[in-house]
Amino acid sequence: MSLAGTEIKRAKLRFGLLTGAVSLLVFLVLLLSTLSGALIGALVGALQGLRTDGLVYADFARDNIAASRMEPSVVDAVAAVPGVANAAAVGTFTTAADIAGQQVDVQVFGFEPDGPGSPSGLSDGRLPSAPGEAAVDGGDVAIGDTITLDPAGTDLTVVGLLRGAQFNAIPTMYVDLDTYVEAAAATNPGLPFVPINAVAFAVQPDADVATVASAITSDVPGVKGYTRDDAVALIPGIESITQSFGILVGLTFIIGIVVIGFFFLILTVQKLKPFTLLRAIGTGTGRLAATVAIQITIVVWLASAIALGLTLLAVRGLNTGIPVQLDPQLILTTILAVWIFSLLAGLLSIRRIARIDPASAVGAR
Amino acid sequence: MNDPIDATSPVPDGPGPAPSADAPTRPGALLHVDHVSKVYGSGHTAVTALDDATMAVDQGEFVALLGPSGSGKTTLISIIGGLLSATSGTVRIGDVDVTALSRRELTRFRAERVGFVFQSANLVPFLTARENLLYVATLVKTPKKAAQQRADQLLEELGLADRAKNLPEQLSGGERQRVAIGRALMNDPDLVLVDEPTAALDTALGRQVVQLLRREIKDRGKTGIMVTHDLRMVEYTDRVFEILDGHLTHVEEPSALKH
Repeated sequence: MSLAGTEIKRAKLRFGLLTGAVSLLVFLVLLLSTLSGALIGALVGALQGLRTDGLVYADFARDNIAASRMEPSVVDAVAAVPGVANAAAVGTFTTAADIAGQQVDVQVFGFEPDGPGSPSGLSDGRLPSAPGEAAVDGGDVAIGDTITLDPAGTDLTVVGLLRGAQFNAIPTMYVDLDTYVEAAAATNPGLPFVPINAVAFAVQPDADVATVASAITSDVPGVKGYTRDDAVALIPGIESITQSFGILVGLTFIIGIVVIGFFFLILTVQKLKPFTLLRAIGTGTGRLAATVAIQITIVVWLASAIALGLTLLAVRGLNTGIPVQLDPQLILTTILAVWIFSLLAGLLSIRRIARIDPASAVGAR
Repeated sequence: MNDPIDATSPVPDGPGPAPSADAPTRPGALLHVDHVSKVYGSGHTAVTALDDATMAVDQGEFVALLGPSGSGKTTLISIIGGLLSATSGTVRIGDVDVTALSRRELTRFRAERVGFVFQSANLVPFLTARENLLYVATLVKTPKKAAQQRADQLLEELGLADRAKNLPEQLSGGERQRVAIGRALMNDPDLVLVDEPTAALDTALGRQVVQLLRREIKDRGKTGIMVTHDLRMVEYTDRVFEILDGHLTHVEEPSALKH
């Protein structure tokens, strides 16, 4: 006979309310994790998703791709550094665009389709392979739509849709380098040449990316090499944003776990009389501890299922302005963490059970 | 226990005679309590709850343990039942020296060898009457079908067959005590320890419960010890012991207690 299951069956209201409260806490943690992940992804997804081992910026850019300006000839200099297998230019700028009659800010990335630096996260269609084509993340566009970049007047036909490839949390479009140069020149008339912002490089199979990045910094004048992860982590402000969200989600998580632990401690204290009786008639502490652990497991997983449903509804219903996707790995990790830490919080209850004196069932002492 | 002894009780004011002198020597007894003492605290704050108690109870005997509040009777049955450790002395039930068992062994011993009927905290509130009986069977890993048959049989004998699916809160005080008696007998224990079974019942119901208790203990050849302050229940027991200020004595003439 399972004491845990039988008690839950007999005390549906009490455990129902407890499950409801826990599900709201788990929902809060899931939603905050999802939204913060989505926001950070929308800010830096473009760099995170670039198919490249590393990036090179101008050394005056202070780790910021948008501030970097380099002559296209730097690509050849980078390609000549020992350990570099391949290098290609990457350009980016922010401009306005006309999407379905609406003026919106967009980020444009230019890349060489045959080299490193192409985007990942294609959810539909294909990457651009000819001038005038674009793969887009955001902006509520569909394949076949036309986007006009202002003030250049460059028309782009959407041939692919991307996920997790935004930059600065605005719609982001990827075009081939020729289209990029044309649009950038039209946007900035009078420039002697269109500078590139970065060089994406792939390393040879046996080379270490960080070592090669350092070699680029020392071998090529006026540039600084980064691994892709470093380039993402060093984006100005991103560390503060990530830390702030981490603290927010972490605190919510900790408070949630402590509250869950207290819930079960309250339940245990309320049941001290029957627990004392059970100890007196020969129930081991281990069995009572298992009862609490099983109840925590049932409540937390049931609450997590409800919380997941609420999060799905919230993600669909909330208009955040950024693409929000549920990340199965994040959700599973969060739920597992809530479960494990709830069990740890349940040790408060188990400690109280272990201190039960069975003699108090007959009033001795 | 907090229940005062019956006002009519002629319990003497001073300590009784030497306990071992009153406790009959019974070599073949099931329960042997030999010079058991229990002292709480130490130094100036030491309180002797039980002082050199000695008694022996035969298999099949149903004895009463009388005494006023704080006299040590609850301490004595707690030590006998393996709920409390003695400061000195030994308790043997059959061939088991209860005072030598570890905490874990005591837990198992209580499940297998002792049946308890408590005054309060008597039943698990979220288990039905039948489940309260079945639960203790799981402690000794009785096969499910055998446990169900025994629980149903006990409930039938106790007149609770139609209340088997009721939760404790749906039962009267007498019914709850009868379920507790069934639970105490469920694992076929050697010893049944009963703590103030009539405390929460009126006289008629109290008599009924004690009569039933005696019948069940006697029919099964079990050994029973009942702590009570109600002298009217003494007539259902075979022998009477009395505790006063921690001193245990055997009452040779229980009928004299009523006068």
